[in-house]
Amino acid sequence: MDHPPRAASSRTELQMARSMCWHCQSEVAGEYFCERCVKVQPLSKEQDYFTCLGLPRLLTIDATGLENKFYEMSRSFHPDFYQTKTDTERTISLGNSALLNAAYRTLKDPIQRAEYLVRLEAGSVKEIRNQPPADLFEEILSLQDDLEEFRAASGQPSADLTALQAKLQSDCETLEQRQRDMESRLFELFETWDRLQRQTEPTEPVRAKKESVLKEMRELLSNRTYVRNIVNDLVATVG
Amino acid sequence: MAYSEKVVDHFNNPRNMGSFKKEEDGVGTGIVGAPECGDVMKLQIKVQNDTIVDAKFKTFGCGSAIASSSLATEWLKGKTVEEAGKIKNTDIVQELNLPPVKIHCSVLAEDAIKAALADYKKKEDGKETVK
Repeated sequence: MDHPPRAASSRTELQMARSMCWHCQSEVAGEYFCERCVKVQPLSKEQDYFTCLGLPRLLTIDATGLENKFYEMSRSFHPDFYQTKTDTERTISLGNSALLNAAYRTLKDPIQRAEYLVRLEAGSVKEIRNQPPADLFEEILSLQDDLEEFRAASGQPSADLTALQAKLQSDCETLEQRQRDMESRLFELFETWDRLQRQTEPTEPVRAKKESVLKEMRELLSNRTYVRNIVNDLVATVG
Repeated sequence: MAYSEKVVDHFNNPRNMGSFKKEEDGVGTGIVGAPECGDVMKLQIKVQNDTIVDAKFKTFGCGSAIASSSLATEWLKGKTVEEAGKIKNTDIVQELNLPPVKIHCSVLAEDAIKAALADYKKKEDGKETVK
């Protein structure tokens, strides 16, 4: 983000280094193993999780396909299979497995996947920082005050306490519904994003639309996190 | 990862927890949130003659966020409005020994201070135009 030209050139260097087998120096045509000497090749640390798992940067992912790909790659890189190999190969196997695990863990969960994609794409969006949701904060603080009051009074049952509990339970249901609504909207945006990503020629309107989708997703993701936290607190106390 | 002793101390004995009435004269309120973890922090200052005479906070989040805001209120008391604006998140990181993954908690506290100061100034400016 700070120095785009430099970042780009270092990436090219890495790709160039990557395209040569560390062992036999032949050009690596195979994806994960050298075609000539069959040695395992390191996944580039610069690689994003989508690339690592051989996926396009789309948000709708076939869960079974992803799982199969993960298992297949895990079998290729698992440190257990490298115990008798050289130090270099053992190190590569460890590094690749760690990257692969992180990639799979992030991408299999739709929320984490979206958060990751928004972060990845953040560089291409001009002004992605959203306004903090002041009204939501007020709402959360007021609910937390109610929760505090409830916890403080929960030793001595009273009519007021019962009423407060009922109010908090109903607030909790409303917020759970809001969280679900945010998630449905988010999944709608997944489809919009994927449709835009598939456009072969990214015209200006497509770019602008993508930017607005990323912005809305980012806002939904952060608001959802705030709502989820207060829902968890409510459920833990009055649920 | 273990919290530092200072974080645990602020977490167990938070200083200046609570709130002032927002409308009260000389009170500035800052409410900020960390979108990554969903923590919400409210920090308030009470100013008399350009000096912060009292500060309060309410933070809903992790131990580091609570400790950062608790420490911030301690530091704010007795400072002038201008001095308060100079508190940096890095000071908080240093004092509390926050690990890299918790640096955003200190950023949140700095943002809250800035927001409270801005709110106070806005209120003061509003008063002048009314006069």
